[in-house]
Amino acid sequence: MTDYPSSTVFVIDDYAPVRTSISRLLRAAGFVVIAFASAEQFLAQYDPGVLGCIVLDLAMPTVNGLELQDILAKAGSLLPIIFLTGIADIPESVQAMKRGASDFLTKPVNDEVLLAAVHTAIEQGRTFWQKQAELSELRARLAKLTPREREVLDGVVAGRLNKQIAAELGTVEQTVKVHRAHVMQKMKVRSVAELARLIERCGIGT
Amino acid sequence: MSWITVVWSMNAAACLTLAGIYLLVWCKQREDRVYFVLSCNAVAGAALTAFELALMRAKTVEQYGVTLRWAAFPVWVVVVSLVVFVRLYLRAGRPWLAWSVCGVRTLALILNFIFIPNLSYLQITSLRQVSWWGGETVSVPVGGTNPWILVAQLSLLLLITFFVDATMTAWRRGDRQRALVVGGALILFSAVAIGEVVLVVWGIIQVPFLACFSYLGLIAAMGYELSSDMLHRADLARQLQLREAELLEAGERMELAASAAEIAVWMWDIVRDEVWITDKGRALFGFDSSEKLNRDRFLSRMHPEDRDSVLRTVEKSLQTGAEYESEYRLVLPDGQLRWLYGRGHVEFDCNGQPVRMRGASVEITKRKQAEEQFRVVVEAAPSAMIVVNNEGHIAQVNTQAEAVFGYSRKEIIGHSIEMLVPERFRSHHIGYRRGYFGDARARPMGAGRELFGLRKDGSEVPIEIGLNPIHTPEGLFVLASIIDISQRKHAELEAARRRNEMAHLSRVTMLGELSGSIAHELSLPLSAILSNAQAAQRILANGDVNHAEVQEILNEIVSENRHAVEVIRRLRLFLRKGDVEEHSLCINELVQDVLNLVRSDLINQKVTVDCEIGQNLPSLTGDPVQLQQVLLNLVVNACDAMAQCDIGHRRILIRAANENDCNAVVVSVSDHGSGIPDGEQIFEPFFTTKKKGMGLGLSVCRSIITAHRGKLWATNNPDCGATFHMSLPIAASRDDLVISNNGGVQ
Repeated sequence: MTDYPSSTVFVIDDYAPVRTSISRLLRAAGFVVIAFASAEQFLAQYDPGVLGCIVLDLAMPTVNGLELQDILAKAGSLLPIIFLTGIADIPESVQAMKRGASDFLTKPVNDEVLLAAVHTAIEQGRTFWQKQAELSELRARLAKLTPREREVLDGVVAGRLNKQIAAELGTVEQTVKVHRAHVMQKMKVRSVAELARLIERCGIGT
Repeated sequence: MSWITVVWSMNAAACLTLAGIYLLVWCKQREDRVYFVLSCNAVAGAALTAFELALMRAKTVEQYGVTLRWAAFPVWVVVVSLVVFVRLYLRAGRPWLAWSVCGVRTLALILNFIFIPNLSYLQITSLRQVSWWGGETVSVPVGGTNPWILVAQLSLLLLITFFVDATMTAWRRGDRQRALVVGGALILFSAVAIGEVVLVVWGIIQVPFLACFSYLGLIAAMGYELSSDMLHRADLARQLQLREAELLEAGERMELAASAAEIAVWMWDIVRDEVWITDKGRALFGFDSSEKLNRDRFLSRMHPEDRDSVLRTVEKSLQTGAEYESEYRLVLPDGQLRWLYGRGHVEFDCNGQPVRMRGASVEITKRKQAEEQFRVVVEAAPSAMIVVNNEGHIAQVNTQAEAVFGYSRKEIIGHSIEMLVPERFRSHHIGYRRGYFGDARARPMGAGRELFGLRKDGSEVPIEIGLNPIHTPEGLFVLASIIDISQRKHAELEAARRRNEMAHLSRVTMLGELSGSIAHELSLPLSAILSNAQAAQRILANGDVNHAEVQEILNEIVSENRHAVEVIRRLRLFLRKGDVEEHSLCINELVQDVLNLVRSDLINQKVTVDCEIGQNLPSLTGDPVQLQQVLLNLVVNACDAMAQCDIGHRRILIRAANENDCNAVVVSVSDHGSGIPDGEQIFEPFFTTKKKGMGLGLSVCRSIITAHRGKLWATNNPDCGATFHMSLPIAASRDDLVISNNGGVQ
């Protein structure tokens, strides 16, 4: 497991009393909270390296909640979003959840529900972060492979025998064995099964 | 011939002549009975003269006694007739004295025929021949005087007493000429005659009876007095003739004038029942010029229905002397109908008996026809009509007016118009009425205010009144045409009730559409309250209490609670269903309230609202909820119209400006949507361009604005989108209306 930074909760709501009260509640529950009055303000200070979650008001002038979600998704943000809305509009909630919202809560929200959602979201953010870290490591390892080694890797993960791979690549079995050893070494795995699981987990298929 | 015969015969002739003259006079003037009495008296005088002559010429004692006996008869007539004459002519003398004279004289007459030879003498022993002047001899009786003669002489004494008494009475009364001549002569001559007779009877003097000369003097004196009366009368008659000639001329002049003025002048001699009338009058009544006329002839010309009323009026005038005045119809022989107006007065004699009636009549057919036409028109009018004279009395009403006010004509004609005005307006009304008569023009009454009439049963009826002055010879009248608007009022109330229900329904619908927005609006403060409260709980539970923060939290909770209450208040107000209430409204507040209601929707739809509210706009008067509803509808419509626009173009402009020309404030809502179809169909019920909604919004909006005396219309913008305008009259003009509602009937 890689170390990850401490979590921050970003509260974005144009209605000040809600914004301050939610922030106050989260702070009282021990969270680090940064509040913004609009999506634009948040984006201006957005740091992709910061971990945590966003408590986002759905209805805001100019850039609303769904639009911000869109923007962040496109930017590859890992921050899970908890939507807060005055009224649970079903199409909007479905859209939000489809786009990967962590939760969709209706105002007024009970503190336990909100805190649970924030905990979950932060956890989710951590998982994302971990996944993202693993993926980066894997990609770094993969990047070290030569093109021939990569081809051999694909053959091995596909479960083919050395001589089958040699035949496909138009080479001899012995050469394949050397490449295979290099792949196992570069990918830091000891068995083909482990390699296959790693490749599958990172979602990088052939 | 003997001079005695000549003189006595002349005396008798003179008496008879006078008797004849008096009889003639009496025949001409039957009512003057004094002449008849004098005539009788003179005849008796003549007879007395004849008896005196016969006595003087008597040859035997027997002859003398019989003659003297019969002479008592004319004496009785003379005495009685003198008494009657005095009573009639001097109108004096005590009645008991008069009756005594007559009674005692009559007793004497009776006794005279009981005693032989007569009352004067017990026995006439002989006749002595007495020589007179000129060698004439006359017979004078010699014998014992009858003591019963005293009865006859008592009657003569009473007679003189009666004369004295009557003369004194007449003198004292001031009738001195008559008292002196008639009374004086009566006393003087009768005293002389009676004295001579008494002396002869008692044999004190030896002369024959010579009473007839005294009597002639008496007759002459009375005759003088009566002649002067007659002379006086003749003089009067001459003067009368002159006067009559003058009158005739005046009468002719008047007739000429009357004829020129088409006036019939008439005179009814009530005693003889004869009517004189000018030629014009004959023509008017349809009589020919020679026909003799009386009351019944006139009555026969009158319309049978009018006869009784005319007769009653005439009778009243005859009894009370009041001026006669009436209007009646004539039916002429050819069947033509003619209206006449007659006036006259009655003349009475000294006994208070009506003797004649003079007057004039004039044709008023044209006036009556005009009146009748007017009456028919008024009666046929579809609305209630009341004619009022310049004293404010009701002169005429039609059936519709009877129906509206519940009175019959008889009950209101002649009464003050104020009886139809409710008590609370009455005093104002009198002033307004006088003002109107001072400057009478055709105009509606109490324009712009509500008028009420008072019905017989005490209820009030809303009415509309038009006033028209009518100038007539009898003065100014006002024709008020009155329309009972209770049904219209009822319909208006019903329409208003339906409109309000519709508006309410529309509001409920609209709020249903806006429910998300409103729920959101309410969830915000509730959310802030809950989170703040729970934050405070945690802060307290953590033990690290920052008092300033807790204070801040509580402040925010209170503030947000108020916010929530405000949202609920607005909502409740908006959903309220009840009577329309008029308030003074600030346009700015109206706009802000509406924008607060749709705030969330505007945010969700990314619509920006710009407001341009003019400075110092006057207040409006109206129902705040309904006007909010209209504005809200327009804003929601504007949002909906821009659903397909680019986000940057989703702008609404709300403007409010004072229109000086029409004393109105115009509020407009502009959008940048796709615009509206031409024409008025957008304001028709169930017309909609939206997928949701019933299409009632704008039709309800228009009915609300119309009920506020405003206008709602829409135009397309030059670039894109549409603008809805509503113009509302400013509060000042509505204030007038409120005041005048209490101002009463004008």
